[in-house]
Amino acid sequence: MIEIRDLRRVFGGVVALDGVTLSLGEGERRAVIGPNGAGKTTLINALAGETTPTGGTIRLGGQDITRLRPWQRARLGLAHVFQRTELFAPLSARDNVALAVAARRGPYRLFRAVPRAEYAEAAAVLERVGLAGREGVAARALSHGERRQLELAVALAQRPHVLLLDEPTAGMSPLETARITELIAGLDRALTILIVEHDMDVVFRLADRVTVLHEGRVIADGTAADVRGDVRVHDVYLGKAVTVA
Amino acid sequence: MSPELVFQQALNGLSFGALLFILASGLSLVFGMMDVVNLAHGAFYMLGAYVALSVVQATGSFWLALLVAPFALGLLGFVLEPLLLRRLRGRHLDQVLLTIGVSLVIVDVIGQVWGREVRSLSAPAGLDGSVTLIGGVYPVYRLFVMAFGVALAAAMGIVYRRTRIGMLIRAGVQDAEMLGALGVDTNRLFASTFAAGAALAGLAGVIAAPVFGVQPGMDTDPGLLYSLVVVVVGGLGTLSGAVAGSVLVGPADTFGKVLFQDVALAVIFAIVALVLLLRPTGLLGRIRIAR
Amino acid sequence: MLVALGAAALVTFPYWSAPWASRFATTLLRDALILAIFALSLDLLVGRAGMPSLGHAAFFGGGAYAAGIAGQQLATDQLPVTLGAAALVGAVLALVIGVLVVRSEGIFFLMLTLALAQIVFAIAFQWTAVTGGSNGLSGIGRPMLASIDFSSPDLMYVLVAVTFVLAALVVWGLARSPYGRALIGVRENERRMRALGYDTARLRLSAFVIAGTIAGIAGALSAYSTRFVSAQDAGLGNSVRAFVTVLVGGAGTLGGPIVGSAVVSLIERVVPSILPTDLRISEALLGLVFIGFVLFARQGMAGLGRSAWLRVSRR
Repeated sequence: MIEIRDLRRVFGGVVALDGVTLSLGEGERRAVIGPNGAGKTTLINALAGETTPTGGTIRLGGQDITRLRPWQRARLGLAHVFQRTELFAPLSARDNVALAVAARRGPYRLFRAVPRAEYAEAAAVLERVGLAGREGVAARALSHGERRQLELAVALAQRPHVLLLDEPTAGMSPLETARITELIAGLDRALTILIVEHDMDVVFRLADRVTVLHEGRVIADGTAADVRGDVRVHDVYLGKAVTVA
Repeated sequence: MSPELVFQQALNGLSFGALLFILASGLSLVFGMMDVVNLAHGAFYMLGAYVALSVVQATGSFWLALLVAPFALGLLGFVLEPLLLRRLRGRHLDQVLLTIGVSLVIVDVIGQVWGREVRSLSAPAGLDGSVTLIGGVYPVYRLFVMAFGVALAAAMGIVYRRTRIGMLIRAGVQDAEMLGALGVDTNRLFASTFAAGAALAGLAGVIAAPVFGVQPGMDTDPGLLYSLVVVVVGGLGTLSGAVAGSVLVGPADTFGKVLFQDVALAVIFAIVALVLLLRPTGLLGRIRIAR
Repeated sequence: MLVALGAAALVTFPYWSAPWASRFATTLLRDALILAIFALSLDLLVGRAGMPSLGHAAFFGGGAYAAGIAGQQLATDQLPVTLGAAALVGAVLALVIGVLVVRSEGIFFLMLTLALAQIVFAIAFQWTAVTGGSNGLSGIGRPMLASIDFSSPDLMYVLVAVTFVLAALVVWGLARSPYGRALIGVRENERRMRALGYDTARLRLSAFVIAGTIAGIAGALSAYSTRFVSAQDAGLGNSVRAFVTVLVGGAGTLGGPIVGSAVVSLIERVVPSILPTDLRISEALLGLVFIGFVLFARQGMAGLGRSAWLRVSRR
């Protein structure tokens, strides 16, 4: 589904991605872990089109998307949950999701009211992520945890083939984390998921395979069990070894 | 064009550039420190010219006007910043909008107080003559303007390089919290910056009056429009940008008017648009996107 | 229903008001409605799509010149031709300027729109052979639709009022459509919109073209009303006036630009008739009102009205 070949990204003099090669099959759930500054968010942003790679290629379903704009990638079925929540702050949760639903049909529908069906679909997605009853609340009035849920709802409403999750549980309480983890675990198995996450419980619950990034390079790649036992991973996570073990 | 004419026009262009620098330096300073494009800059410039007019009428002294007008404008800026802009700190776009309102008020009040006729201010005695330079006669006042522009740029350069405030401006520090952490009184700093910008506009009003005249509409053309052109082309918020912009735009405008005549104005703004598109921070601007 | 009645009352104003209102009232209302059309179009950019344009007068002026020049060059007085030319020129200018500006933001967007509009102004001001240059364009033809001549004050008013109602309907229809909501999405979070699959540059450009078209028509109406086009119609002052109207009324609402144009017209036209004739400070008053709204009521009159309504209805 996704094939990343020799991806590089240099910011000024800093190498954020130093030749990353990675491929995900259809329906695969892959976690990318690594210490801060390993290049995880840069990788997700390069996939979503938020940053232009300095070198290398990215393919989605066989098509080269390396140079495509974010909106073109979204049209091809890529959805992105940002690390720092990106929502329409003054709009209601329902409108936030409805804009994602409407995106599939395009914005050039003039002189007619927004179809009720789009709101109904938005409400259904909100219920799925556990925001039933909060439809009318403005995004900025939601709690941090709720905003992360809404961010996920927005991405799901795009009906993507590939879901990019950049620390979906960041800043959540243990209870909220558990809930959203189960929610992601229960998503359609045909959906390809790439998740960047610090919480190892979440990683091992969700991921089929785990890729470890360090200083912009892949230093380990394998099943959850493989990575758990990999010595190099322990070196990278020195001091954090407890969370990996 | 004959060589003499080219020389003459080059001199005209450079003296125009010097005027533009005096005009634009205040706008550039305020943007550099506060991230605010002061759209009342042209109105400040206009007010400076009218204050000078009154001072010269009352005392007959151009040199006194050259002191009084910047001082009066500086005072105005020092009052306006805390009164209006401070309430919107951090909301740069709203601050810009606010200065539109300030401009409307100042221009109309000038019209009410000084009338809406075209006025003029002559160059001071001693500078009102002409000299012969390479086959042409040249007004002494224009040479004075050039010298004044260079001196002002040099003085500002020293302030930028040698003083604490100058360092802050050059570092592009405008985050109120960071300034607070450095032990800077941000309220006083911003008020002083805005006052200095207004004073520079007032100074430009006096210096430019014998060349551009004193009349309604001068707040926009040349006031606001040309100072915007200079800082956009040269680079927003840096002294070197303002210098480069003036040195480029002055001769470009002068030769443009000779070569293209009718379309000169359009050409100048086309250049501005091009620079904004290709390099939004100007030729020598810092890379910073203001929202 | 109520809206239809209101619109009918508005369009027929000179006829039912004749017993008690002067012709001045009709002219005043006509000019306020032209300003309202202009402001409604600008609000599509400023209020809906979040693009603070300080160059909207380029399209207004472009439309005004287009109507006048098309009438003269094509030797016709027919409104479909002249208004069509105005709309077309407004649209084309907006397309050209729009392509250049839609990727800029904030203060840069503001300066870029100002600079580009200034090119249009400079051309209008200096291309004397076509535009009349600094003398302006006079000799505007009669506004004719088939054999009806709209140049009498009352009929000119009707033409303006009908156009206003149509423009308001168009803007209302756009605002409630998926398109209008997408513009708000661009205003609130362009990055999220892109990630959802919206080509936001194209969305902004489309809004620019629609707004430019409507502004061009407003300009043509102004040319017919005053039978004159001045380069200032395309100048910075006129852009500022539209911007002030939108913000005072309340950006991003349908009523805002309309209420704003009423306020601005009152200040520009009615207040001077009350004040002593040697006191010409309407611009200053406008500036003060504008400063007040930017400082204390950024949502404009519409926002004030809404919060007052909420306070009353909560009791």
